[in-house]
Amino acid sequence: MNRWKSLWLMVAVALVGTLAQQMQSQSKPQPSAASQHFAGEGQVQQITLPQITPQILPGPNLAVYQKNCLICHSARYVSMQPRFPKAVWQAEVKKMVDAYGAQIPEADQALIVEYLVAVRGSDAPPGTPAPAK
Amino acid sequence: MISSDKLNRSHTGADRRQFVSTLLSLGGLAVAGQALGWEPSFAWAETTAKDASSGTPTLAHYPQKTELILLTDRPPQLETPVHYLLSDLTPNDAFFVRWHLSGIPTKVDLNTFRLEVSGKVNKPLSLSLNELQSKFEPVSLVAFTQCAGNFRSWFEPRVAGGQWGAGAMGNARWKGVRLKDVLDAAGVQAGAVQVGLRGLDIPPTDKTPVFQKSLTMDHARHGEVMIAYEMNGAPLPMLNGYPIRLVVPGWYATYWVKSLAYISVLDQPLKTFWMDKAYRIPDNPGANEEPQHLASVTVPINEMAVHSVFLKPAPGEQLRAGQRYELAGVANDGGSGIHRVEVSTDGGQTWSDATLGADLGKYSWRQWKSDWTPAAKGTYKLMVRATTNNGEKQATAQWNRSGYQRDVIEHQDVVVA
Repeated sequence: MNRWKSLWLMVAVALVGTLAQQMQSQSKPQPSAASQHFAGEGQVQQITLPQITPQILPGPNLAVYQKNCLICHSARYVSMQPRFPKAVWQAEVKKMVDAYGAQIPEADQALIVEYLVAVRGSDAPPGTPAPAK
Repeated sequence: MISSDKLNRSHTGADRRQFVSTLLSLGGLAVAGQALGWEPSFAWAETTAKDASSGTPTLAHYPQKTELILLTDRPPQLETPVHYLLSDLTPNDAFFVRWHLSGIPTKVDLNTFRLEVSGKVNKPLSLSLNELQSKFEPVSLVAFTQCAGNFRSWFEPRVAGGQWGAGAMGNARWKGVRLKDVLDAAGVQAGAVQVGLRGLDIPPTDKTPVFQKSLTMDHARHGEVMIAYEMNGAPLPMLNGYPIRLVVPGWYATYWVKSLAYISVLDQPLKTFWMDKAYRIPDNPGANEEPQHLASVTVPINEMAVHSVFLKPAPGEQLRAGQRYELAGVANDGGSGIHRVEVSTDGGQTWSDATLGADLGKYSWRQWKSDWTPAAKGTYKLMVRATTNNGEKQATAQWNRSGYQRDVIEHQDVVVA
């Protein structure tokens, strides 16, 4: 996406936001009529979740990470993180196993830590600010 | 492609294997796509997240929602872009989304949906939405809520978890029935100490703890805790907890159980990962600890701390010397209401009172504004602090391992050109 497109998008987002705010402030909720219009909307509500492009960071042991971790959550759980020292990633993997019940063989756990350190690791000792990527 | 229903509710090993292979092929497609020069479509969004490590934030359009900042997609965590936070009530379609377990409800049939009330009660209940709406007195209030980890990306040193900026919060007018009235209808037995609260969401594996929270019986029977079926005069969006969610005024959103379906009255404190291990804070008023000296005693996060924040200027926004600018933001607390918001434009040397917006009740956030005309070019350090009606003030420093309960006086550097 080029710069101009981004700029137009920014303007559009801002405009929509302003309009939404105006509509919001103008339309006072009507509590008394609410249960009626609620029932009128039908007895079955269903949504279809969008397909989101997976954000899978390339790194060592990628297949092990994918096989074990993406059962429960998408890869953005990792890609959104800042960089952390290895100890933090070890604790995260342990938390997934001990607390969230992830059934990851022990050998795989070490490989996953390697992957996480490669894609979102920092050399700093624990407790020091992680540098921005 | 497997159906969304299966995607969200896969329990069996076979389902999981199919699920994983689908994911792997999706991943492969993405890699192949990049190799062929197809770029995922990232869009600019105003975000307050600190150095989002994935680069440009991605906007995503989910059903019944406007475009929101995508943190994660499975389960969905969607952050509200800052400009939607500048009105008294946050529009339903812009309200933040945060689920814990990938098996989120995507379909609700009101013919079969029931709110079950069981446990230490004289008369277990199984209530349809219609019964809930017709048999109990409706109540309404404006209440602010926010994720316990709102502003997590602002903590230094950084901490792991959902890397929220300021947009995991919102203010809405909720309508529903009192939890107290429902409990009274069931007849709480002597010796009951807590209620357990659970929604329709399902863990991705049978080893993953179900998402369940608890409130003390006294809190649950406090008349202001509500089972809400309306948000800003409309049904709740599916992703915000359709058809009913708990509203726990003044408390962090982790207690506002979405798609509430099971209320159990307990004679023992609930033992659950989500109370005993997760969502805990150091046992001191500011939820403070040091990275090298973590607190040994922690408690479940509870009432919201007093906090205030700049929404204008947006991060990176440039101001002009000699030109009037309207600084703006919001302030909240845990239920006494905001008494005062002060702003400093000189790094805290001098403070002046901001003008407060509409008072929508003690559980509402409070918008604030303050005119400022920077005299000269340069970089200014803006600060904002709030005082509650109870006289509580914000902290000057704060850190904890989970990035919870942000209550520190915020600084924001702004460039005047």
